[in-house]
Amino acid sequence: MKLWLLLLPGLGSIVFLMGSALYTIMIQSVGLHTELGASLDYWSDTLSDPILFRSIEYSLRTSVLGSLGAVILAYPIAMWLRKPIPGKTAIIGLLRAPMFVPGLVAAFLLINVISFHGILNESLLALGVIDKPLRITNDKFGWSVVMLQVWKNTPFALILLSSSINSIRSDVLDASADLGASAWANFSQVVFPLTIPALQAALILIFIGALGDFAFASIAGSRNVYSLSVLMHYTATAYYEWEKAAVIGLVIMVLSGLSAILITLMTRPFANRTRPVISASFLERSHEK
Amino acid sequence: MKNNNKLILIISLSFFALVNFIWLVVPFFMAVLWSLVDPSHPWSFPDIFPRVLSFNRWIEVWQTTSLPEAMFNSYSLAPAVALLTVTLAAPTAYAFGRLEFRGKQVAELITLLPMVMPTMILAIFFSSLLLDLGFSEPYFSIVVAHTVLALPYAIRIMSAGFKAVPQDVIDACADMGASRITTFRHAFLPMLKPSILASLIFCLVISIEEFNMSYVLGAPDFITVPTILYSFLGYSFVRPDAAVVSLFLVIPNVILMLVIERLLKGNYLSQSTGKA
Repeated sequence: MKLWLLLLPGLGSIVFLMGSALYTIMIQSVGLHTELGASLDYWSDTLSDPILFRSIEYSLRTSVLGSLGAVILAYPIAMWLRKPIPGKTAIIGLLRAPMFVPGLVAAFLLINVISFHGILNESLLALGVIDKPLRITNDKFGWSVVMLQVWKNTPFALILLSSSINSIRSDVLDASADLGASAWANFSQVVFPLTIPALQAALILIFIGALGDFAFASIAGSRNVYSLSVLMHYTATAYYEWEKAAVIGLVIMVLSGLSAILITLMTRPFANRTRPVISASFLERSHEK
Repeated sequence: MKNNNKLILIISLSFFALVNFIWLVVPFFMAVLWSLVDPSHPWSFPDIFPRVLSFNRWIEVWQTTSLPEAMFNSYSLAPAVALLTVTLAAPTAYAFGRLEFRGKQVAELITLLPMVMPTMILAIFFSSLLLDLGFSEPYFSIVVAHTVLALPYAIRIMSAGFKAVPQDVIDACADMGASRITTFRHAFLPMLKPSILASLIFCLVISIEEFNMSYVLGAPDFITVPTILYSFLGYSFVRPDAAVVSLFLVIPNVILMLVIERLLKGNYLSQSTGKA
């Protein structure tokens, strides 16, 4: 009884608001709230729309590249931070800075740098790399969005991976180095498998965040293709087709869930790999010496 | 060997400095530069550097756009969100930090849901729900929405705070016949202060920079700093204005986040008990 009173304010508020939003989205996606009654027409209409599939493709593409980019960038930095470096606290502070920059500001900063007469184009012109400024803002593929996701999410990936890498006991790494493992073998066969849980968490959280992205896509993204969230927002607020928007919202949630499962399944084998670190022939040769 | 290590360190540090220069310094320098372009001397293509630098643009944006209104809205939403969130989070954080009960893990997982659920979905369908209920008071609905977004963070920070209060201090208070309120004031409160403060500031930051909820629930005429920046970046794109508003948004944020870092790192808890 008392426990419930304690949990109610915090947990209760979350459950209440999330629950009512989820309830609304479910009801609306099948049109239960209209006079016409339940129907699956909204699902079949929305799912047969090629615009939705272009959005799915665009959102998946930018999210996959964004989350992979952030993680791939974070690994070498996390390895570097293991070493004693003068001024480490300042370095970590600088590395975390993008996390504290609101997404809209980040989008503005990027647009400003890559615009037609922005500093990137002017520097490349001055260096003679290009003869005409590049038109790279709001590119069709979504590279700007990928860049922004990587910029904003690398600190987060770094925090998760760093704490996992730092918790590996140094005698484990010393042992593998004593056995003659190269820096790469040390990373790929000792460090990497031990950080898989942190990697999964980082990939899943960044991916889901990127899949639901509205701000980056609507400011720096393509002018021809909408991201899923932008499409959902337009459908609801410009066309007042709440039912279709609800279907798109559920599509985002289902894709997020499926991706989380897929990421877990795809990375799990790396954690359980038990291939020997060094080949037997190498050991024989070192014995002969 | 030793020299070699030193060389590697110098190379890696200079590489870090170079990358950070491109990664952080250049973008922010360009934003500051654009915000200082004098309104009567526009910065256009052949000039490598603006002709006249001044703070006139800042004054102009403040006087001619609705930025003051947006600032007022943002900064009156944020304290309300912070107080409400910490008040609601405290009992739940106590339960997570100090009690053992069945289903605790599930309950903890559920509190994390607002962190993974795309906010645009929540925003649109929360607004649709409010529309159905005939409720249209943007200030109140944005406070509620921001509170739900901030709750997971406040609960996490504060339950770690509650967990760290040593049982012997509480027992000592009880042994000396302290009432519940006295125990709370003398055993819990001094040690919880940093985590309560950190949660309050975290909520302020979340509310000030939150865009999706404010944009959808505030539409069409309730503006906050992020939504006004969005309009400056979209249909009424004026680069220097956007630069000014970006800085208005980012500077308080960075200061507040630095304070949080201090609060959560300054390990009051271990110092006050002598236990590391």
